[in-house]
Amino acid sequence: MGSRSSQRMSVISLQPDALSRVVASLSGETPSELRQRAMQQFIKRGFPTTRDENWKYSDLSNIIDISERWLAQADDAPLEALDETQIREIQASIDATWLVFANGHLHEELSSALTTAAISVTTIDDATDISIDEPLADLNAALMTDGIVIRIGENKRIEKPVGLLFVDRAASRPLTSHARVVVSLDSGSSARFIEYHASSGDANHYSNVVIDVTLGNGAELDYVRIQNRSRNHSQTQRLSVRLGKDSSIRHFGIDLGGVFTRNDLNIDIVAAGVSAEFNGLYIGSDKQHIDNHTRVDHRVGPATSVQEYRGIISGRSRCVWNGKAIVHKGADGSDATQANHNLLLSKHSEINAKPELEIYADEVKCAHGTTVGQLNDNALFYLQTRGLDRQEAKRVLTRAFATTVVEKSPIVELRQLIASQLEARLDELDDGDSA
Amino acid sequence: MLDITNLEVRTGDTDILRGLSLSVKAGEVHAIMGPNGSGKSTLAQVIAGHDAYEVTGGSITFNGNDLFDLEPEERAREGIFLGFQYPVEIPGVNNAYLLKAAMNARRKHQGLPEIDAFEFLKLAREKMATLGMDPKFLNRGVNEGFSGGEKKRNEILQMAMLEPRLAILDETDSGLDIDAMKAVAGGINALRSPDRAIILITHYQRLLEYVEPDFVHVLSEGRIAHSGDKSLALKLEEQGYEWVREAASA
Ligand SMILES: Nc1ncnc2c1ncn2[C@@H]1O[C@H](COP(=O)(O)OP(=O)(O)O)[C@@H](O)[C@H]1O
Ligand SMILES: [Mg+2]
Repeated sequence: MGSRSSQRMSVISLQPDALSRVVASLSGETPSELRQRAMQQFIKRGFPTTRDENWKYSDLSNIIDISERWLAQADDAPLEALDETQIREIQASIDATWLVFANGHLHEELSSALTTAAISVTTIDDATDISIDEPLADLNAALMTDGIVIRIGENKRIEKPVGLLFVDRAASRPLTSHARVVVSLDSGSSARFIEYHASSGDANHYSNVVIDVTLGNGAELDYVRIQNRSRNHSQTQRLSVRLGKDSSIRHFGIDLGGVFTRNDLNIDIVAAGVSAEFNGLYIGSDKQHIDNHTRVDHRVGPATSVQEYRGIISGRSRCVWNGKAIVHKGADGSDATQANHNLLLSKHSEINAKPELEIYADEVKCAHGTTVGQLNDNALFYLQTRGLDRQEAKRVLTRAFATTVVEKSPIVELRQLIASQLEARLDELDDGDSA
Repeated sequence: MLDITNLEVRTGDTDILRGLSLSVKAGEVHAIMGPNGSGKSTLAQVIAGHDAYEVTGGSITFNGNDLFDLEPEERAREGIFLGFQYPVEIPGVNNAYLLKAAMNARRKHQGLPEIDAFEFLKLAREKMATLGMDPKFLNRGVNEGFSGGEKKRNEILQMAMLEPRLAILDETDSGLDIDAMKAVAGGINALRSPDRAIILITHYQRLLEYVEPDFVHVLSEGRIAHSGDKSLALKLEEQGYEWVREAASA
């Protein structure tokens, strides 16, 4: 890596030969055309670097390194055995229809049959409309192992959550995985989705998950993303949601694990009457890096978008929140609210929080607020005078800070699971590095 | 029960208490009055253990034990309760949760098992009814969005549930209408017993019409400038604090 930084090539891509070899081996079946196109685009543009405004604080060097080493060994590397107990435990924690992506491959045995009269499941082919306009999405399209299209039929209301479980295990060699899911909710339908990220193994992994969602007229989607990866895991994740007339989404994402995490959430409002609510919580400790970039495009009004992200940042961790709202010309009646609150528990931790509003329409309502603070001393003292010791008082306040946004998670059955994972996470903070 | 001897307290460069002495025995109700800024809240906060204040001299013992050896939470578990002049809002922490945690911390210290969930609810509802509080307040964030009067009632609710040995109520009566005042006074009177003591910090003698104190003290110039019985409160109401100051500096 030293040589790379000293040379500072203008484009940092992957070895084209090695990349084409792997892409060719994956292209035995469709979508070969799409893969080739995406690969060429990726080679030309390369990975984002910290010189890109959107990647200023998130350095992909380590991910590039894992990818290079993975490419060098890719053809003769058999898949490593999965940790099935971990998978079964996650599946048992909530009654959902699970699709399991293990090291990027759809794992039929661990997955439930999803296809019903209301839901169709197919694989991505050259005709599938998927986004390949951004380097990591291009890389994903070139290297995707299994790409799945899930379609909820018109006016169908799916009660049981659909769980997308992305699980990776790398025990002896570096691993990368590129899973892609396309979801479409036809008009008048409703569904609930869980996107769950887990991993295990001592070797380094990098997963690059891309999910494209389209909501038809009046469709309703509840969506919860849980990222609880191991500390050997780096990930980039992109969720793009295109919202049709009168459709709505309620989203909540929580980041607990991983060593490097970058999430991109893109909300694209293309018709009137849309309501988009997206919230999140990130908890950093040790040397974790957690970056949440959100972007909402109000192209047509009236429509409402509301977001609140909260962060608990401790140890030597660094978190990034960047929330962009763009109200395009003519999108009158747009109402965009963004809030980001951070609890900084250690003087060695760091938060880069930035709201961005770009308004090109006349009649809009926009508000944003960002705070960074410590635990409130008066509240700590108040709790102590009620008999709680200082450590417990800190815990109560930290939990309360998180709970305020966790309560906005739209899938009620997941609250218990999230609460217990949150509790386990707070234990880790108490042990080491609370201020 | 509580013995304060020559207490000196400062914060930053300011001396607030300058040799304050006060002795409170079980069964007694003491009222402490005094002009704004005379140090009444400081005294209460120091007894509760706030670390923003530096104790530069004197001592406080509670049932013979040096209070300065104890953390705020240990003082609470020993049975000291402070009703705050400005109760703190804690969004996201459920009122019932805090009440229960506070009771259990005290009970654990006393070697008692945790309170049964059903018993707790029953007791809380009962106390809330006598204080004229809607049971819905149990499920709200601690003091979150409460009006001034609701916050004060909530402090009294905590006191009633915790049954402290020493209750210090810092201006619990200010900002209350007459009904709220009566409810709060009822809560305080219900706590009166031969093995408990109560210190009422107040501006007005109005509360003292409902809760009759055994002693009334005037805090001025950082010490107890004057002590008497409840008639002293009346005199202060009529004549103000000027004469105390003059007498103290004479
Ligand atoms: N935390 C603090 N920091 C600085 N000054 C303080 C603090 N607390 C109290 N004081 C000052 O000490 C004096 C006494 O205040 P206080 O005890 O609140 O009086 P009272 O309750 O009698 O009105 C006032 O002059 C006040 O400004
Ligand atoms: Mg005061």
